[in-house]
Amino acid sequence: MLEVRRSDVEYPDVEIVMKINGELKKVKVKPYERLIDVLRNKLGLTSVKEGCGRGECGACVVIMDNRPVPSCLVLAVRANGKSILTLEGLAPEGKIHAIQKALIDVHALQCGFCFPGVIMMSKHLLDNNPDPSEEEIREALDGNLCRCGSYLRFVKAVKLASKYLREGKTYFDESEVLR
Amino acid sequence: MYMSSVPEYIKIVEEVFDKFKGREFLYIGKDVRRWDAVEKIKGKSLYTADFLKFYKNAVFVHSVRTKYAHALIKSIDVSEASKYPGVLKVITAKDIPGINDVGYVIPDQPLIADRKVRYIGDIVALIVAEDQMIAREAESLIHVEYEPLEVITDPLQVVDLMTLKEKPHTLIHDERGSDVLVHYKVRRGDMEKALREADVKVEGVYKTPFQEHAYLEPEAAIAIPEAEGGVTVISSTQCPFDVRKAVAKVLGVPLNRVRIVVPAVGGGFGGKEDVANEVAAKAALAAVLTGRPAVSIHTREESIIGHSKRHPMIAWYRHAAKKDGTLLAVEANIVMDTGSYASLGPFVPWRATVHATGPYKVGAARIDTKAVYTNNVYAGAFRGFGNPQVIFAVERQMDLLAEELGMDPVELRLKNILRVGDETVHGQKLTEEHGVGLEEALLKAVEASNWSSKRMEYRKAVGPLRKGIGVAIFYHGNSIGVEGADYSSVTLIINRDGSISFRTGLTEFGQGSTWGLVLIAAEILGVPPSYFKVENPDTSATPDAGPTVASRATVMGGAATVIAAHKLRKRLNEVASHILGCDPEDIVIKAPEVYCGSDPNRRTVWQDVVEQSFWLGIPLQEFGYYRAPRAVWDEETGQGAPYITYTFGAIVAEVTVDMETGLTKVDRIYTAYDIGRVINKVGAELNAEGGAIQALGYGLMEELIHDKDGRVMNPNLSTYYVPTIKDAPEIIPIWVEAHYRKGPLGAKGFGEPSFNAVATAIANAVSHAIGLPVYELPLTPERIYMMLKKAGKI
Ligand code: FES
Ligand code: FES
Repeated sequence: MLEVRRSDVEYPDVEIVMKINGELKKVKVKPYERLIDVLRNKLGLTSVKEGCGRGECGACVVIMDNRPVPSCLVLAVRANGKSILTLEGLAPEGKIHAIQKALIDVHALQCGFCFPGVIMMSKHLLDNNPDPSEEEIREALDGNLCRCGSYLRFVKAVKLASKYLREGKTYFDESEVLR
Repeated sequence: MYMSSVPEYIKIVEEVFDKFKGREFLYIGKDVRRWDAVEKIKGKSLYTADFLKFYKNAVFVHSVRTKYAHALIKSIDVSEASKYPGVLKVITAKDIPGINDVGYVIPDQPLIADRKVRYIGDIVALIVAEDQMIAREAESLIHVEYEPLEVITDPLQVVDLMTLKEKPHTLIHDERGSDVLVHYKVRRGDMEKALREADVKVEGVYKTPFQEHAYLEPEAAIAIPEAEGGVTVISSTQCPFDVRKAVAKVLGVPLNRVRIVVPAVGGGFGGKEDVANEVAAKAALAAVLTGRPAVSIHTREESIIGHSKRHPMIAWYRHAAKKDGTLLAVEANIVMDTGSYASLGPFVPWRATVHATGPYKVGAARIDTKAVYTNNVYAGAFRGFGNPQVIFAVERQMDLLAEELGMDPVELRLKNILRVGDETVHGQKLTEEHGVGLEEALLKAVEASNWSSKRMEYRKAVGPLRKGIGVAIFYHGNSIGVEGADYSSVTLIINRDGSISFRTGLTEFGQGSTWGLVLIAAEILGVPPSYFKVENPDTSATPDAGPTVASRATVMGGAATVIAAHKLRKRLNEVASHILGCDPEDIVIKAPEVYCGSDPNRRTVWQDVVEQSFWLGIPLQEFGYYRAPRAVWDEETGQGAPYITYTFGAIVAEVTVDMETGLTKVDRIYTAYDIGRVINKVGAELNAEGGAIQALGYGLMEELIHDKDGRVMNPNLSTYYVPTIKDAPEIIPIWVEAHYRKGPLGAKGFGEPSFNAVATAIANAVSHAIGLPVYELPLTPERIYMMLKKAGKI
């Protein structure tokens, strides 16, 4: 009989602490568990999407200690002690961030599955480059696949968001957009 | 008997079309925000897999797939795996309570293989376990004894291209006695005479690849066991009612015991038609057999290996014409590889056959299309549905013909295209009522792109970077034609507070189709779209609207919406007339305002009209049902009227090819479409862009490759390339509105047409740039490099 190892028995849970969207969270995880699963299933942060599980699509991007990472390639234990931002934490209650407003303004939305990753990546770009060129936007979002093909709108939206941000408009009232 | 008179619903659609003719619209064709924009932008919309967070005791279903692409199953031993701690159940074919089949059109595809396996994605057992890790670990304890058979990956091993006769080979579907799935024909005119009279003939063999949908959300389903052996399944599908049927069949229960709910869907493009049945059935089985919520989620690799693809095509074509460019005859032998199972394989080649001569007047035609089984991943529906393949062949042929005649490609096309009054190759006479805007689309695309001067200019270029400009045109039959019962329905409910619930079984998987329906209802009722809530498709609440496929959501769902909204509006007008004392026809609704057109001072508000309706006993719910006029098709000759109407389009593409590396960059795409009436302007523009970018992938980089053993060589997104933001070219959308009188406010379908001809326009541009004909997609750098090398150009 083939000797099979039962990972869930062999490896006990580890407790990790992360600062998620500004709040400290303690979670028990398996040493082999991926950050994406912990965020989605244990913490309910389902804006984080799994499109490939191999670092190829960008749908699962979150910002970890100010760096965008594909959460499908990060072991949860590696996130211990780190600060993580997901789309849920991008804007205060009732508000949306400039990049979200811009994406709505240019009507970029199709199925929306790629959006969380695109938004986090754009936010990271704008944090570090307040006035990116079209080239720079395309370079930054090259790892975020959008099969519905909203790419041209992403370029427009990031430009528009950078304008909003430079004008000091970081957040917008959600109700303003809902009109 | 009752068929003899024109049904009321057909009359209403035409009446509303006439009524709105020439009127200014409030919402139709305007920039209107989508209802789900904010939820989605905040990451709050729930897609199927997201619901897992609500089910803490869910079990996981893991599919154990075959080792061989073609083999007999001698035995399966799951006893060890069943005892593995954490495994609740191992399901094999014999555990299926109902019928072991998930074939979409014909019953040729077992959910769990029992006797033999036919492709590398075939499932031999399902492991249901406490978590995914355990399920995967237990896989090594399942012992299957196979007897490997010859693997057939080349459709030309099954039939000969020139005779289309079936060759002796190891049968894949031995139970059928033949691996030819279908044979469709078109016969028109006197072929011999046409060939005799022809001054020029051009011929070629054209090949197109397997294309993967690569929707960003992989397949998923969550099933919850219900009373009486039933189940509720949350499913990422385009066709909830088809999923219901498949699940009920596998479980062996009546349809009303199965409820399918469709939350947000992360892309479909045709791919989430049939695989969704399989995934939902797997989850449902596990839920029913274990009594716990069950989850089936495909990894990206499973998705690529285990769901349908765009059919590859190999086609021989011959065109014959007079010196002046008049097209006399088209002959074609078309072979489509439907892979291991039929899926939508019986229908895709039909659409290909109908469109096999392109949007041209053709005096004589002989088309034969065969779809054959192989041991490749099965092929099914994908945006365009057989049309993009034949467009490639036809529009390459037209360029060859133009070259042979020394004519400009646009001039040759203009000489032969379909206009009002012409007959299609099937003998269907196109009238004003159909709306035929092809000429206008072509002329507009040509003008916008400055075609003539660029076409001359680019050819003169020297040096390593060469520019090219190419054109391709097409038509696309709307809805499903003779493929099936072509009906649709919606329910509109005006609630007591004046808000409106919109229900349909049509699904919205990204391209905004349901939004178009809301705009139609809003326009007719006179109520802003923000009053509406679109409910999720749910087989227990939303009416069956047929599948969301074949670019039919707007035309068919739109017509049903027109009917429901029109009936409600009539009743509301009467109530308002009762309140205000003017004629019902005089009532203007611009919610919240409601007033008499002749005397705007006599006014009330929407809420009041709604409230009064309740008191007066006037129902404010309405069901809209529409059935398309019947399509006609003669199996032997391909003559008749295969579709209710056609969408037309003309694409001009500009490219730059690096003659040293073979790398192509698309600079610009002009997309001119006649979609009857632009209902949802934002959606139409997005769809034009998205379709073009997806087609750019088809033209330049996308190709699913099988090795000789039938294994997929590129089953993930780092080896199967799809366009990224760096590939997206400038796209210039142009709209032509040749109204279809029987469509909702004149609209025609647009879901698929946005994909259809773009890859071919790019291919024609590449051919122009490099000065060589191209016969095969995709035009990867390797392929272009080898062509240049062979031609001695490098
Ligand atoms: S899911 Fe992480 S990159 Fe695709
Ligand atoms: S909107 Fe669908 S993948 Fe980007």
